[in-house]
Amino acid sequence: MSTVIVVFIALAAAAALLMAFHAPWTRSREGKMLGFLALFLLPVAAMWGGLSEHMERAESTQFCLSCHVMEDYGHSLYVDDPSYIPAAHFQNNRVARDSACYTCHTDYAMFGTVRAKLRGLRHLQVQYFGTIPKPADIKLYEPYNNRECLHCHQGARKFEAASPHNKNPGLLESIKSNQKSCLSSGCHDIVHDVGSLKDATFWKPGK
Amino acid sequence: MEITPIESRIRLAGLLIGAGLLLALATMLQIHPLAFVTFAVLGCPLICAGVALYLWSLVAAKRE
Repeated sequence: MSTVIVVFIALAAAAALLMAFHAPWTRSREGKMLGFLALFLLPVAAMWGGLSEHMERAESTQFCLSCHVMEDYGHSLYVDDPSYIPAAHFQNNRVARDSACYTCHTDYAMFGTVRAKLRGLRHLQVQYFGTIPKPADIKLYEPYNNRECLHCHQGARKFEAASPHNKNPGLLESIKSNQKSCLSSGCHDIVHDVGSLKDATFWKPGK
Repeated sequence: MEITPIESRIRLAGLLIGAGLLLALATMLQIHPLAFVTFAVLGCPLICAGVALYLWSLVAAKRE
């Protein structure tokens, strides 16, 4: 998809510049049509395609981790300890590695994607025009909702039948209704934990 | 060949659009937040300005 859009933008740029250097072409009927194509239809389509491509790229792990402040969060995905929830998910392909951040940090609700994009714009504003916080000071906007975990785990045999999830009657239901948090009720509470990475050992892919 | 005022506006529109699209093309070369910001803050406004100038030149041409 990316190559198609790049080629399309290049062709649109060439067409616009061609019209710029041959403006008198617009005196003829064919020239007017060419002008409309090169100076309206193609640029608008190319801009839309470019925006769409950038939006898609913004969902990639590479994009999220390219800000210096997120480097430790990227390292936390390689911690050699299965109790680190993001690391266990990343290393075992429970989430797609090339969109790991976006997979877990998007609300699986009606406007979740829109909200994620708007938050992304805010992150860009802070990154380039604001005061960048320390990695350990970065907090979620709101407590992590079980909905994001259940998007994949609900209905899965391992999740539904796991003994810790069924040790009390009604526990599974309270997890599913977000009354008992997966992450902050003492069960899966080691998340990125970037403050303790100095003492951690790291997994190297392929070894 | 002498260039009319409308054609000079079309020329400027083409240059703005071309510059905006070339900038957009450059931002496609890497996946980085700065590429997105450059696209959104510089590329898109240049393209929009060029398209707006072109459309205005059409409207103005009818009046002239």
